[in-house]
Amino acid sequence: MNSQMKYPSAVSMRSLVSGLMLSVAALLVFCSGAAAADIPSRPVPPRLLNDLAGVFSPSQAGNMERRLVAFADSTSNQIAVVTVPELYGMDKAELAFRIGEEWGVGKKEFDNGVVLLIKPKSRDSRGEVFIATGYGLEGAIPDAAAGEIVNRYMIPFLQQNDYYSAVNAALDILFSLASGEISHKEISGGSGSTAIIIFFLIFVVLFAFLTGKSKGTKNIGGGGRGGHGGGLSTADFIMLGMLSGMGRSGRSSGFGGGFGGGGFGGFGGGSFGGGGAGGSW
Amino acid sequence: MKKSSIVIAVVAAVLILLFFWVKGTYNGMVTMDEGVKTAWSQVENVYQRRADLIPNLVATVKGYAEHESSTLESVVEARSKATGITVDPENLTPEKLAEFQQAQGELGAALGRLLLIQENYPDLKANENFLALQQQLEGSENRIAVERRKFNEAARAYNTKIRRFPGNIVAGMFGFETKPYFEADSSAAVAPKVEF
Repeated sequence: MNSQMKYPSAVSMRSLVSGLMLSVAALLVFCSGAAAADIPSRPVPPRLLNDLAGVFSPSQAGNMERRLVAFADSTSNQIAVVTVPELYGMDKAELAFRIGEEWGVGKKEFDNGVVLLIKPKSRDSRGEVFIATGYGLEGAIPDAAAGEIVNRYMIPFLQQNDYYSAVNAALDILFSLASGEISHKEISGGSGSTAIIIFFLIFVVLFAFLTGKSKGTKNIGGGGRGGHGGGLSTADFIMLGMLSGMGRSGRSSGFGGGFGGGGFGGFGGGSFGGGGAGGSW
Repeated sequence: MKKSSIVIAVVAAVLILLFFWVKGTYNGMVTMDEGVKTAWSQVENVYQRRADLIPNLVATVKGYAEHESSTLESVVEARSKATGITVDPENLTPEKLAEFQQAQGELGAALGRLLLIQENYPDLKANENFLALQQQLEGSENRIAVERRKFNEAARAYNTKIRRFPGNIVAGMFGFETKPYFEADSSAAVAPKVEF
């Protein structure tokens, strides 16, 4: 009886597992087919460092992502570092522009994105690196500057397989060049935080007023009822204050909004027109 | 009386719906048409950018390689021919586009031959000005490739819109015509590849 009960469940379990494996395999085949035909898809959730070739250690990747996000937050310029295992049958420049365009690196209104593309050297192909600049940064980072960054600051490190130092050296220069052109701390960044402070202050005053009042009623009149009424309206005001505060900050932060915390807020729809330069090693 | 007023109301409602549909479709097509024109003007810009580099490049090369005059002349000639052809975006026919692409392709090929002669002139190859010009030329080629791709994408989206049913009825009524594409360059007219 017991074993008979077990038997069908084992069968169904096995068929379930094999079915699952089949569908996973089908999904993998589908995904790899799609990836080979086109550029890598935009990362979800959005990230500025996309180490698709796996050349950075986790701690290096964490440091670099933090650096890139901090720069994007403080200047609104978005620099995406992308490493790829292959060039997907394209020229390195074309791949960099298409990644920039299709991911939308940079803000839409400034086109201030940069894509730093690296294809590591492998046994049968050269290493390739390209810095693609968005329309808005072609003035700040001319092709000649991009070429110099690649040839003078990156290639020496890349030849020693030191990808981390190469990218960091490039970022040092890109940061200083790009922040000179569009150093656009989100206009609303300042006013948004003052709005929050004001709302907070109003909320504190209201809270103090209401709790004081409810205590007063309690002392004078019927105990339970007065306390209950006061508590409810206090809760309402907490909700109201929080909602209006959130609404303000959400509206003012614009494109970057949506993802809280220290993380990257998302690409902004920047456009690329063919600016930049690259090199090989 | 009552029946006829219902009929009138239904007809009016249908007409109003039809009007809004035609209006929306037509305006969408106009927007996309403008998008294609903008993309085209960007294409002409980046080709012009390349053409603007050529006088400087020719002058620099002349200083080092005087007896390459035939190569230099062919570049100058191809340039004047290519800059002579401008296409009015209002009148973007396949023939016009092919003519434009042909002339620009010849200029690209002449430039490619010009850049090849540097192998025979080590002094030219090491010249700072020449190196900078080469890099700018490479940047121009990148920009040309990007803007051509964007033009083709805009034209493809527009063509799809005006050729699909039922939008094609509106397109036919108002005379929207399909836009031509840039063809992939034939090997003879391929843009110069500058390697460092």
